[in-house]
Amino acid sequence: MSDDIQMIPPKDPEDPVMRERVIAAEYSLGLLEDEELLTAREREATDADFAARREWWDDWFVPLSDDVSGAQPGDHVWNVIAAHLDGRADAGAEAGAGADNVVLLDMERRVTRWKWTAAITSAAAAVALALFAFGPNSTPVSQDAPALAVNEAAAPLMASIPIGETPLRLGVTFLPGSDEILVSAAGLTADGVHDHELWLVPEDGSAAQSLGVVVPGEERRLNLSDSVAANMGDGVKLVLTREPLGGKPEDQDAGPVVAEGALQQV
Amino acid sequence: MDDMSGSGIKRASDEAREELRAAMVRLAEGDSAALEQIYSATRVKLFGICLRILGDRKEAEDALQDVYINLWQRADRYDPQRASPISWLATFARNRAIDRLRTGKVRGGAVPVEEAAPLPDETPLADILLIDAERDAQIHTCLKTLDDKAQTYIRAAFFEGRTYAQLAETADVPLGTMKSWIRRGLMRLRACLEASEVDANGNGGARHER
Repeated sequence: MSDDIQMIPPKDPEDPVMRERVIAAEYSLGLLEDEELLTAREREATDADFAARREWWDDWFVPLSDDVSGAQPGDHVWNVIAAHLDGRADAGAEAGAGADNVVLLDMERRVTRWKWTAAITSAAAAVALALFAFGPNSTPVSQDAPALAVNEAAAPLMASIPIGETPLRLGVTFLPGSDEILVSAAGLTADGVHDHELWLVPEDGSAAQSLGVVVPGEERRLNLSDSVAANMGDGVKLVLTREPLGGKPEDQDAGPVVAEGALQQV
Repeated sequence: MDDMSGSGIKRASDEAREELRAAMVRLAEGDSAALEQIYSATRVKLFGICLRILGDRKEAEDALQDVYINLWQRADRYDPQRASPISWLATFARNRAIDRLRTGKVRGGAVPVEEAAPLPDETPLADILLIDAERDAQIHTCLKTLDDKAQTYIRAAFFEGRTYAQLAETADVPLGTMKSWIRRGLMRLRACLEASEVDANGNGGARHER
């Protein structure tokens, strides 16, 4: 190896000449943090030579990865990835029989992993009912509303819809005789690209009815029209579809079904 | 490794690399079916990388999900001319794992710098998608020209995702000292790598087939 590239190493590790020779390497390796890292990121976005030099280092270091042992991830990992594909692939296209089968298979895999017990559901019910009993309210409900006596003649209907492989659930509560549902999407976050719309699938086979767009991370009351409220009942199926922001556009079919549940009398 | 098995592996490796490149092109054109093929071919290698950086199986699986979901979202950023697909994917996966490590919620791996416990190699296919035997040999050769400290800490940065501050703390030296060791090493490394690029005769050293 040639030794003619000799430099008398400067004693000061902050020497700007030295720094400039290797800053892209430090960035590539991940040595930088805080301000230095932010500065490097900004520079990468605006300085093409710096970005190219960073890639040069990336390309030289990456063969070292061949020394890392491979490992097998769990089977569920692909299911989560595939669920994200549903939203992007064939957006707006007709859902053919093949596509339906693929979505249903995903659904079966997700449903079999749902292990929430009745005990958990009824605890959630107690909280939801307490909040619900406070009356019509278009703002997010407060988390620490005190419990109120429940009108036992109007047994509430609830659905707990599992979201993919996560332990999160969409909670839906309906008091028969009222014209509202409470939808709880606590723990869910928006991705900035999609909204999720909740639908009721009437038992008589007529067209699915929209219950509205879910607001991630919040509990909201949604008003129901008479015809929708009339279709709410024990065993009625609810589905969640993935739509563009704002929900299903008027002139298009609904997006892919990504979760489903059924109303149950508590 | 005798020549017979060497050429068989090389052929399989070249074929695998071409199939992966074709799948990446299809992915960039919006073919979602290509993602499953890419996942199937690369998950073992990329999960190994994530696991080594994050030191935690659940975190590594979450990082791996992010890798492929992000890959789908930005597939058009891969330039098939620029780098081999597995090279690009491995860099991408490593960067995502390090991003996750930096959020501070992950343990950050108390894995010793020298050698993590070797993980069982569960799929022989993992070996077929070697990144680049020739460049691998070259980076190793150049790293060996550095002094021991620089080699050790540059490797720690690459394999474990350590920052200057973390390395200084582990080594119990001032931050400036660690920076000085590593920067000098990187300067020498750059000179060595650039020399190999202009060396028209090709650098000595045997190709390492695995």
